[in-house]
Amino acid sequence: MAWFMGIDIGSVTSKGAITKDGKLLVAYHLLPSGANYRAVAQRLREELLARAGLSPQEITYTIATGYGAGSVSFSDEQVADIRCCARGTSSLFPSARTVIDIQGMSSQVIRLDEEGQVTNFVVSEKCAAGSGRFLEIIANVLRINLNDIGPLSLKSKNPITFTTGCAVFGESEAISRVAEGISKEDILAGVHMALASKLSALIDRVGLEEQCAISGGGGVNVGLIRSLEEKLGIQLLVPPQPQLITALGAAIMAEEKQKGI
Amino acid sequence: MTNEKKRTINRLKTMYPLRALLDEMYKGNIEASKAGKPTAWCMVTFWEGDVILKAMDVESVYPENYGAVCAAFGAAPAYLDRSDADGFPTHMCGYARNCLGYTARMMDLGEIPPGAPMGGMPKPILLLSSGSLCDAHYKWFQALGRYLDAPVWTMELPLPGVKESRIEGAYEHNIGFMVAELREFVTFLERLLSKKMDWDKLDELIDDMIEMNRVWYEINELRKARPCPMHSRDFWSSMSGSLYPSGDLKVSVDLYRKMYDEVKYRVDNNIGALPIEEKYRLLFLELPPWHSLGFFNQLAERGWNFVVESWSYHPPQPIDLTKVSDPLERIARFTYQWLTGRFPDAFNAGEWGGYSAYPYLEYAQDYQCDGALLHPLVTCRTATNHLMLVQDRLMKKLKIPSLVVEGDIVDLKLFDPVDALRKAETFEETMNHYKKVRRQEGLEW
Repeated sequence: MAWFMGIDIGSVTSKGAITKDGKLLVAYHLLPSGANYRAVAQRLREELLARAGLSPQEITYTIATGYGAGSVSFSDEQVADIRCCARGTSSLFPSARTVIDIQGMSSQVIRLDEEGQVTNFVVSEKCAAGSGRFLEIIANVLRINLNDIGPLSLKSKNPITFTTGCAVFGESEAISRVAEGISKEDILAGVHMALASKLSALIDRVGLEEQCAISGGGGVNVGLIRSLEEKLGIQLLVPPQPQLITALGAAIMAEEKQKGI
Repeated sequence: MTNEKKRTINRLKTMYPLRALLDEMYKGNIEASKAGKPTAWCMVTFWEGDVILKAMDVESVYPENYGAVCAAFGAAPAYLDRSDADGFPTHMCGYARNCLGYTARMMDLGEIPPGAPMGGMPKPILLLSSGSLCDAHYKWFQALGRYLDAPVWTMELPLPGVKESRIEGAYEHNIGFMVAELREFVTFLERLLSKKMDWDKLDELIDDMIEMNRVWYEINELRKARPCPMHSRDFWSSMSGSLYPSGDLKVSVDLYRKMYDEVKYRVDNNIGALPIEEKYRLLFLELPPWHSLGFFNQLAERGWNFVVESWSYHPPQPIDLTKVSDPLERIARFTYQWLTGRFPDAFNAGEWGGYSAYPYLEYAQDYQCDGALLHPLVTCRTATNHLMLVQDRLMKKLKIPSLVVEGDIVDLKLFDPVDALRKAETFEETMNHYKKVRRQEGLEW
């Protein structure tokens, strides 16, 4: 029996997946990445193996990806996260031709073919306003849990319009709106609209081809998904666990590697 | 265990003496300055001003090149900081910021700043800027003139569009304008230096300059071979002989001829610039991150061969100027050929981006490129504003994808090599995809 592992050390969270016989996700885990990527990778591996009831020797091949891939000492290979994300998405949604991947530190839009190969891609500039970091900043201002942002924003009646495309000024603007008595719901809906606008501009650079999927931490935010769908005029393919797509793709690529695909 | 450095690019042996011309240029400038010989700080004038200065026995120093030198030596940050402190904006040209910071420091000290790479640039009597493609030239050199209390001369040249260049009489009109500008420049120099132009000397220098660039052009033609015998790193190391024509031009001609022989030998013997299989042939735009050239070695390890680069640093396609007796007119026609030589082909192809996009469509086809690496220079609009158009035209017309990696020629803070490598790895999948697409569409490669 051959088992394969994918480890995705992101700037905010670290994710892992184990696959066997194709695309079956056997185990996964999410951990905050913290500052010690090496230690978190090790812990992630231990937890993944424990959940799957496997020993390290039973893993045939491991691919590391993400911001901290270089710190995964037990990996057999490192692969760029963009490729892993495309492959992971394709395994769940073979019809997907575009992926919007919203990560903690950046966002990227990937175009892919029927085999999950990257045909074009664009990565956001180094700017918090185009990534999940903007949501974290605003959640902090509003003193709410990150997971509550999406559902809360759906209750908005009158979303505000942010007058800046910068996360730093956006934070100041959110504080001003709170002081003016604007509801959290309306502020959050405004944040989602601002982020959707940024992402839409990114999408325009590579062109949107349906079907379009979403992945990364941004994919768990129902408010952001709705804003994006409204902005783009399409319905997004949303995987059950969007944050795990890249780790899943890494595990699938590990399997492909072993089979010489 | 061996200390031997891993060889990722087969560098040309004949590149080293060409690259060394730069060292000699800086050394020669310092010595000449000490001997009381006049020095001019020049922008790249695309051969318009260099030979004229040389004929008048004025030493040329090139602040743009010095920016690259300071970046490569790690000396730029201190000069950039000084430029910032004097109030120049950080989004301004990196070469200009480096130069202004250097100059401010030099004027503070009253001498070349200690530790300046290559011995530094000696104080000039003249500043020669160029009206070619750079948009920083007026204010950069105007500001320098104030620091240095030196006269500034701008070498203007016409920049027609592809269609406009075909208006009846436009060619001769533009040549006439350039000749008049050059004549004024000679008059200005004669007044400044209180000496007359040696026209015979100028004539000979122009011949050498034209021959040097002809050989350099032929070298680059050889790079169309598969595998490509010469990597862009060798191009960048050797282009200074042409762009910064210093020292004895007959020596430069000889060095380029030797390089031609080496490259020809490689082509004849199927020797590529990479010691491994040439998996991908790349076009590079614009100038490279001089502070991080090792990045190209990492790409070479992956089988990326950079086979051609921005046209503006290449010599013009040769034309016969032997029947043009006026030396200034020969200079004008030569530079104008560099600027507009591809325009008739662009017109016939229905492409209007004569400076911006068309040359790359031609290069990508002639050199059979699999992809383009676009390096937008955060601080240089001229080198950046056309890249999206290039990306679009390459994809629409030739199904060639582009990878965009932001950076800067001088400021290393603006380039992220780890992120660039991550994108490069992904881009291989994209290049593979478009290889199939090109085949399906009946393109040659």
